[in-house]
Amino acid sequence: MFSLTSCLYLSAFLFSVGVYGVLARRNILVILMSLELMLNAVNLAFVAFGRHFAVVDAVGEHRGQIFALMVIAVAAAEAAIGLSILLLIWRKWRTIDVRDLCRMSG
Amino acid sequence: MSPWLQHTIFAVVAALAVIAALLVVTRRNPIYSALFLIIVFGSMSAIFLLLEADFLGFMQLLVYAGAIMVLYLFVIMLINPREGDLPEEGATSDRVFAGGTAALVFCLLWFTIHESKMLTDDPVIFPTLPSLGRSHGSTEAFGLELFHEHLLVFELVSVLILVGIVGAVHLSIRARKSAPEDSVELTSDSSPVDRSEDRAEDRAEDIDRAPRGSGNQEDVTRV
Repeated sequence: MFSLTSCLYLSAFLFSVGVYGVLARRNILVILMSLELMLNAVNLAFVAFGRHFAVVDAVGEHRGQIFALMVIAVAAAEAAIGLSILLLIWRKWRTIDVRDLCRMSG
Repeated sequence: MSPWLQHTIFAVVAALAVIAALLVVTRRNPIYSALFLIIVFGSMSAIFLLLEADFLGFMQLLVYAGAIMVLYLFVIMLINPREGDLPEEGATSDRVFAGGTAALVFCLLWFTIHESKMLTDDPVIFPTLPSLGRSHGSTEAFGLELFHEHLLVFELVSVLILVGIVGAVHLSIRARKSAPEDSVELTSDSSPVDRSEDRAEDRAEDIDRAPRGSGNQEDVTRV
C-alpha cells in the first residue's frame, strides 16, 4: 500500500537498521555506511510528509524536498571528512577496528 | 500512473530496500556492504520518483549512488583490507544490546506513527495533485522555490561543503607529510623516502605504498 503511513514505517525500519549497524559493527566503514542509511531514512520521511501536505503553487510547496536536499549535502560532506579521517587512521595504525581507537591521543 | 501500479512498484522497491539494508549491516566484507547500500539508495530513488520528487530522486541517484558510493568503494580499494584486517565482529552480548536498542527505536517510531491522529484522520492514500502549469517536484518549480524562499540555507550549505573540501584536503596533506616518518618508524628494513625527490614522484610513491604495506605482514603495527 503506497501511502504516507507505509512510507513512514519503511523509514522507521531503515533508521532502526542503521542504529543496529552503528551499535553492533566494529568496522568503521560499515559504521559510516549505517550512518548514511539513517540519513537516507530521514530523507524518505521528509519527502513523504512533503508530498502528503503539499499545496500546489503555494509558498513552501517543496519544503520537505529542499530539507532532504540539504540532508544529502550534509551527508556528502560527512562522508568526505569521515573517509579521509579513516584513511589517516589506516595509514597511521593499519586498523579499521573501532575498538583499537580507544586512546585520547597518538 | 494507475494506483495499482504505484502500490505494486512501492511494495517491490520497499521489500528490496529492507532486504538490502539488512544485508548491509550483516555482511562481514565491506565491499558487499557497499554494493548492497547502492541497492538501498537506488530503491530510495525509485520511491522519491513515486512521491513526485523528480529532481530529488535524480539527485539521490547522482549524489548518493554515484558520488558517495564511489568514494566509499575507492577508499575500500585503497586500504584493501585483507581477511586478517577485518575486525572480528562483536560477541553475542554486543549484538543483543544493539538489536535491543534498534528494536526499541523501531517500536517507539512504530507506536508514534500508529497512534498519530494526523495520520489516522487523513485519507491513507496520497492526495492527487492537480497537474497544471509547472508540476510539483519538477526541477523548475523546485529551483524557483529553492532560490526564492531558501537562498540563505542554500548559501550556508555551500559554506558547509567548502568546509568539507578544505577539511578533506587538509587531512590528506597532513597524512602525506607524516607518512614517510611513520613508515621509517614502523618498518626498520625499508629505506626512508627521499624527501628531495620532486612532488610527482613523491605522490607516485605514496600511491603504491598502500597495497605494498598492507600485503606485508611485518608492517602490521602494534597499536
